[in-house]
Amino acid sequence: MEAPDEQLMLAYRDGNAAAFETLYLRHRGRLFRFVLRSVKSRATAEELFQEIWMRVIEARERYAPQARFTTWLYTIAHHRMVDHWRRGGLSLVELDDQDPPGDSPDPARQLEARQALARFAQALQALPVAQREAFLLHEEAGLSIAEIAAATGSNAEAAKSRLRYAVAKLKAAVEDG
Amino acid sequence: MADERDPKVSRRYRELGAEEPPTELDAEILAVSRRAAETRLAPLVPPTGRRRWYFPVAAAAIITLAVAVTVHVERQQPDAESITPAPPSTPESRTDALEAKKDSAPQAELRKAKPAKPPAASAPAPALRAADTARNMEQPEPQARSAPDAQVTGLAMRRAERGAVEEAPERILERIAELRRQGKHDEADKALAEFRRRYPDYRIAEEMLKKVERP
Repeated sequence: MEAPDEQLMLAYRDGNAAAFETLYLRHRGRLFRFVLRSVKSRATAEELFQEIWMRVIEARERYAPQARFTTWLYTIAHHRMVDHWRRGGLSLVELDDQDPPGDSPDPARQLEARQALARFAQALQALPVAQREAFLLHEEAGLSIAEIAAATGSNAEAAKSRLRYAVAKLKAAVEDG
Repeated sequence: MADERDPKVSRRYRELGAEEPPTELDAEILAVSRRAAETRLAPLVPPTGRRRWYFPVAAAAIITLAVAVTVHVERQQPDAESITPAPPSTPESRTDALEAKKDSAPQAELRKAKPAKPPAASAPAPALRAADTARNMEQPEPQARSAPDAQVTGLAMRRAERGAVEEAPERILERIAELRRQGKHDEADKALAEFRRRYPDYRIAEEMLKKVERP
């Protein structure tokens, strides 16, 4: 059975470097995508991603498992992202020239799928910051409404409302496609 | 947990890709985490054997140094403590001094810090003489200079302790809010960024958030 995140973080706080490695490998992908989909460039995303983990490392002595580790981690990420957004770096990464998943070899259908995905990415990019953040925290990080509220320093009603608006707008973009 | 996901939206979102950080970045972060784990400060469990003396001795040394520096600094600056009334030479003036003690607490404290010494030729009343004797027994002549020093040291220690205590997060936020009120937004942004760095998981109350964030 895998050790829970909170236990690993406590072990790291007490000097167990291997515990951090496990924790890091468990969360790196999701956190990276959360950051990547919130900023302009991949280079910026990498920089922010690294800074967030540095803050986690710095804050280890003060860590106390009052909530899920994930909530704590994304609270730190939220604060770092807010700093970044405040400086005006708000956008999404452009889609790489990658083929969307699917087994259709038909070039016309592939183009259609690519366009649909681009529309979705644009809709995600066009969301207000708070709505997009709520969506990414829910969809990518797997946070509940209450956890989104805790991580973003808002209340459950606001978090729920932001998430609903975000999902409704994205759903419209999907259905347009 | 209330799931607000929409299956179609979730599927399309997944199609955006499953990007991951580069392996060099992973290596860098993990290296930092290992170094941090190795350079841990004092253990949380009390040390045993000979090592149990290290921390008390180190703490005593730090306190002594802090006090010595503070006293030195205080002596460089003339302040109210250095202005003391002339020592009373008669029982009347001593009585006046006792009356004056009722004035105010800070003044009384200042006077206590620099107690007046009666000259040897004076002839105080018996009751006052008894009080003097008692005082002199507590503070014999050779230590006359160290008594005020002890008081100053007490004050200095309290000041040193106050200075050593880290500023509370709430106080920092109030300071940032004040900068915003004054329209010093760049300064406030910097202070807020530093606050976030120092307290990455500190949850700022809604009301305070409105005051500290750029409008």
